[in-house]
Amino acid sequence: MHIPDGFLSFEVWAPLWAVAALIIALAVRKTNKKLSDRHVPLLGILAAFVFAAQMLNVPVAGGTSGHFLGGVLTAIFVGPLAGSLVMSSIFVIQAIFFQDGGITALGANIINMGLIGTIIGFYIYLGFTKLLKGKRGMITGAAVAAWISVVFASAACALELAASGTSPIQIALPAMVGIHAIIGIIEAAITVTVIGFVMKTRPDLLNLPKI
Amino acid sequence: MRHSFLDRYSSLSSPIHRLDPRAKIVALFSFLLIVVFTPITLGQKFALYGALVFSLVVISKVPVKFVIKRSLVIIPFVGLVAIGLPFLGNDGGSLNLGVFAITPSALLLFLNVIVKSWLCVVAMIVLTSTTPFSRLLRGLQGLKMPTVFVMILSFMYRFTFILEDELERMVRAREARSFKPTWLQSVKAAGNIIGNLLVRSYERGERVYAAMRSRGYDGEIKLISELKMNSHDALFITIFLSLLILILVV
Repeated sequence: MHIPDGFLSFEVWAPLWAVAALIIALAVRKTNKKLSDRHVPLLGILAAFVFAAQMLNVPVAGGTSGHFLGGVLTAIFVGPLAGSLVMSSIFVIQAIFFQDGGITALGANIINMGLIGTIIGFYIYLGFTKLLKGKRGMITGAAVAAWISVVFASAACALELAASGTSPIQIALPAMVGIHAIIGIIEAAITVTVIGFVMKTRPDLLNLPKI
Repeated sequence: MRHSFLDRYSSLSSPIHRLDPRAKIVALFSFLLIVVFTPITLGQKFALYGALVFSLVVISKVPVKFVIKRSLVIIPFVGLVAIGLPFLGNDGGSLNLGVFAITPSALLLFLNVIVKSWLCVVAMIVLTSTTPFSRLLRGLQGLKMPTVFVMILSFMYRFTFILEDELERMVRAREARSFKPTWLQSVKAAGNIIGNLLVRSYERGERVYAAMRSRGYDGEIKLISELKMNSHDALFITIFLSLLILILVV
């Protein structure tokens, strides 16, 4: 859910903007230092890939459909910070060019749908790969991280709206989290299928340098 | 390619189209901030903001109908807020709508959200439908957006359409096989299509890098022409900002 302008109060959107900007600045510095010129086109194409993949609608229930978010998947391939850059650029494009989400709400949207997946999601995934060895750890980790990233994103969105006084928490939180607990299953299933597909066809892609 | 509305009107010729992208970005982002910070109780100010932004639409020759139609993207979110309305506000005195009662403060809140988000969306539509994507990116770069970011965005813009076409071909191929899936199958098929797209995207990225490298790419975008602010841009910024401030304080 891309929050438009005017839905969040200043006390909510300004700190979120600051946090998002800080993390992105860190990501820019790290990627500038560690990435060779070779990787920049790759990150751009990955961003285009996630953007295109989000166009594919998957039926959820009762005639509604959801789409893939992709934060966890991106971070698994290129690492949390580079993944954050990729996801943030998608939200910037969506806010400015597609009017999908506001400019003042951009920080909130980047954190909810981007950074929660690429950072929290990535470390959950990493934890699972340390716990369970090999393919099993990767698949379980990716599934759990993908599901959590979607559910957390919806909870964060509901909390931000409630803190702004735009939507009452007793309605927004259960409604958003309830729906997204189902959408999260789809996110997990797609993330796992994609990783399985890449393992079979280009397993080397899972060993790219991660930043 | 589905997003035919993107860059659809950005190559028209009008005084607004000819402005430096930085001037437009600064002007419209200021507009947006001022709108967000104006208390909703000052209704006539919002009418004036609307008049201001729509006068830009008229000058730019972008069809008003197109702008209105595009601005409806905010509707799903408005719906979400509308659901919660009966449970907000407790200042007594309520509007009875059948089963629900909506307090005046909740109604004001709803108005706040609709009016502000709509005006902001219209401002963004003006910005993007009067500025071609590449110029807008250069404007953002001129306003100190980090280079890595600008480069990711420009690659993304170039390849989104190609990858979307690729995705559509795969989906069409799936449909052509009389695909009548159960839910699980449809999720699995989506995963495989997306996985396929990922591998193809990556391989395309490698080829593009090789092609760019062989043409002398060294990690920087070189521009043929620099952006230049002229007196028109200065005039536009001055008039637009003074009108905004005038509306805000008077």
